[in-house]
Amino acid sequence: MNLIVGVSDMKVSNDIESTIITYSLGSCIGVTIWDKVARVGGLLHFMLPESSLDVEKARKNPFMFADTGIPQLFKATYTLGAKKQRMKVVVVGGAQVLDQKGFFNIGKRNDMAVRKIFHRNNVIIDYKDVGGNVNRTVKLNVKTGEVLLKVSGRGEKTV
Amino acid sequence: MSEINRILQKIDQLKPMPQVAHKIMAIVQDPESSMAELSDVIVYDASVTANILKVTNSAYFGLTKKIETVHQAIVFLGMDQVVDIAFMASSADNLVNAQDGYELNEGELWKYSVSSALIARELAEVKASDKAHMIFTAALLKDIGKVILNQYVADSSEEIHRLVSEQEYTFREAEKEIIGIDHAELGGIVADKWKFSPEMIEIIRNHHVPQNSTKTEFETAIVYMADTLCMMMGLGVGSDGLSYRFHQETVDRLGLGEKDFQKIIVNFGEKIGEVEELMQTT
Repeated sequence: MNLIVGVSDMKVSNDIESTIITYSLGSCIGVTIWDKVARVGGLLHFMLPESSLDVEKARKNPFMFADTGIPQLFKATYTLGAKKQRMKVVVVGGAQVLDQKGFFNIGKRNDMAVRKIFHRNNVIIDYKDVGGNVNRTVKLNVKTGEVLLKVSGRGEKTV
Repeated sequence: MSEINRILQKIDQLKPMPQVAHKIMAIVQDPESSMAELSDVIVYDASVTANILKVTNSAYFGLTKKIETVHQAIVFLGMDQVVDIAFMASSADNLVNAQDGYELNEGELWKYSVSSALIARELAEVKASDKAHMIFTAALLKDIGKVILNQYVADSSEEIHRLVSEQEYTFREAEKEIIGIDHAELGGIVADKWKFSPEMIEIIRNHHVPQNSTKTEFETAIVYMADTLCMMMGLGVGSDGLSYRFHQETVDRLGLGEKDFQKIIVNFGEKIGEVEELMQTT
């Protein structure tokens, strides 16, 4: 079964028949996590780095922001038996428009937010494909933990 | 016949803008026009009327009462909204199909167009523009050139991607270099053929290079900004990805700070679900 994760959305599953998918990330970032022992996977598609921008909206939908979405993603998989130290973590997206610099480079700021949160929580990223001017789609196979990454103009690869 | 001429001939394969769209545009541009005149023009086009009612009753607007006539729609949503919906209903046919050359599945170009138009309208309102309809419609139709160029982009896909990935060309610049014409330029020609105003033509033609607009510098800047934000949000983005240029001076000209920029993303992100529903009804 395909579980589709929309923009500012998250899904977790322990159904080994399922694939969790998010399409078209742009400057947004997709984080997939997978525990091979529990066979539990999750995918978050967030838009912006920090919830301080709009605390009220972050409360209504924590998946909009990196700092509120990532903890929720991990917690949701823990309830299905996953453990942090066994997690395979993949981070993709964070693209930018050409010549986009500084504060307006949301893709880069999203990437920095993920790095900061993972560093603080001792999470190691197993695979990362972030930045550039490309659009990405990502699919996590809950049975095998394989992540299929589709990049505009570059084709597909499995990681 | 040259390649460019062959491409230009294909404009005739597009479904022409319905007569009602032109009439609505004329009413909108007339400051003396009334609600009754607008309603009278719309009801003579059965398919546009049906679409307006479907969209008006969609979850996007969240009305509690079922709307059954165009007149009621105008009363509940206002003339401005109904005009926008009428343009959406008049444009969907040309924009819903898959565009393989751009790796866009069915409905993706439509999603991009509608999202850009809604964001552009919001920006137009924030900036108190009196040309919100023009901005909405130009944003909605700005990529009409892609529908024609699609086949040519498919045939030259490798060369285009080589220029983009190896030589820092934007996707539009690569189209121009390899095919001889780009989708924005072609969109301007379509708008001209459809007898749109010179302002509309200029916005569509320059939506990736807003600094080139002279008559509509401000309006083009808004459409450009909406387009950029859609790309960043990944709304209906295809093989061209985000391979277009960011013009900081255009952002500055609109007086948009970093926070404003993120707030537009948050506000639109919050209603993407409803927007998707809105698109399925048109």
